[in-house]
Amino acid sequence: MWSRLTYTLRETWASFQRNITLTVAAIITAAVSLLIFGLTLLIQEGFDNLLSRWEGGVEMIVFVQAQATEEQRSVIEEALAAQEGSIIASWSYCDVACSLEDAQRLFAGDPATLELLTETNIPTQYRVVPTEGTDVLTLRALREAYQDGLPNVLSVTLAEDQLDLISRLQGFVGLYTTGLWISLMFAATLLIWNTIRTAMFARRREIEVMKLVGATDWFIRVPFMLEGLVQGIIGGATACGALWFINNRWTAGVAEFPENSGFAALVVSDGYLNWVMLGIIAFGALVGMIGSGIAASRFLDV
Amino acid sequence: MIRLENVTKSYSAEVVALHDASFEVAKGEFVFLVGPSGSGKSTMLRLLNREERPERGAVWVAGRNIVDMPPGRVPHLRRNIGNVFQDYKLLTEKTVFENVAFAQEVIGRPRHVIRQQVPAVLDLVGLAGKEDRFPNQLSGGEQQRVSVARAFVNRPLILLADEPTGNLDPATGEGIMRLLDRINTTGTTVVMATHDQRIVNTMRKRVIQLDRGVIVRDQARGVYE
Repeated sequence: MWSRLTYTLRETWASFQRNITLTVAAIITAAVSLLIFGLTLLIQEGFDNLLSRWEGGVEMIVFVQAQATEEQRSVIEEALAAQEGSIIASWSYCDVACSLEDAQRLFAGDPATLELLTETNIPTQYRVVPTEGTDVLTLRALREAYQDGLPNVLSVTLAEDQLDLISRLQGFVGLYTTGLWISLMFAATLLIWNTIRTAMFARRREIEVMKLVGATDWFIRVPFMLEGLVQGIIGGATACGALWFINNRWTAGVAEFPENSGFAALVVSDGYLNWVMLGIIAFGALVGMIGSGIAASRFLDV
Repeated sequence: MIRLENVTKSYSAEVVALHDASFEVAKGEFVFLVGPSGSGKSTMLRLLNREERPERGAVWVAGRNIVDMPPGRVPHLRRNIGNVFQDYKLLTEKTVFENVAFAQEVIGRPRHVIRQQVPAVLDLVGLAGKEDRFPNQLSGGEQQRVSVARAFVNRPLILLADEPTGNLDPATGEGIMRLLDRINTTGTTVVMATHDQRIVNTMRKRVIQLDRGVIVRDQARGVYE
């Protein structure tokens, strides 16, 4: 067992050194594609943060000032209830805790603003889901009515004000970054494939002898698969380093943007970033191993 | 040990390498396969090693018909068969010791076994003291001895030799034949394809003669003709 393990590691290392140019090319391509893959995930998460308050068909949010009394909130709720069935399908109240949680996402990149928001001053929200037949004009009229007629309403926001632009932007960015990382990942897989094929061709005599003395196909294949796996992991780790750096610079940059620029939500939490980095390494390893495994099987009859 | 039953192997409609070949080789026998180039000698060896499969017939090796053997079992079959080639097939970047050890390493022999058995087999083939040389530092005869050592180090039941003296001068070739004869006396069955008339006539072992894929003669203690 120990003898096989040392043999496998020795052969993997030797093969790695033998094809250094191709290996480096494969690693760089894998790293770039994985970086774009990671950036795509971070950008999508940023957009999701922006859009999260509009989930579940919510199309209007009534922001209520923190100092609103129970009576004033009852008036607002009565007004909402009065429209239920005709214009409003349902509505829910997002209390102080819920609003603080919402702010954590929206102002992730703006810690200064976030720090200013407390349980005593954060506006709470009524999230309104309109009925199917309600058109934009009716909603706009309702917004005017709520803004001017209800007590202690800070503002009323309609989804159409934000949603359309963000969704279009998200679709546009998502499409092109996804297309790019898939193309580059395909190129990286082909490069890993070619590296393994070249390595096997260089060692064809050795492989022939191995087969003749009774080595199993798996015994021959494993060092090559390990080589692909290591290439994928190194590519993934390089991409993680670059992703961490870019995210760090972006987060620092967003903090300096003007307030209410809307970019504060386009920042992801450290926890999400860690998951993405872990995913990138795992994905790189998987692609490297599968690419090299297929190549090793395909070119075993050298 | 080996039995071929009505074996036919062709590479195309025009090229029939073997036609309805049948013979049997007992354990511990030494057999020469003779015949002109293209007569089917190498194909015969490749069939015994399961590098090729016949269109028709059965190939029995060590009690198993290997024609329909699952691919996963082939490596285990080959661990019972040693191969010696005309061009040695040594790995040039490995030393003599490493070339022989390689045959044990790839089938998972423990290190202590390798350290014990490789010097013993190198001693047997007359290469003691040359363990650290590389193939290009050896003569043709010495390289072929390394090849024989590699084929024999796992103590195979059968040793297949394809023109092992083809690249060697007569005196060196005789040395290799003495070595193969010595291996044969340990109970290993030897099947050797050769053109070397002198060696066949000197050794006087069983001779199977092939001509255009057909066995035309099977003679005990035979000569080349």
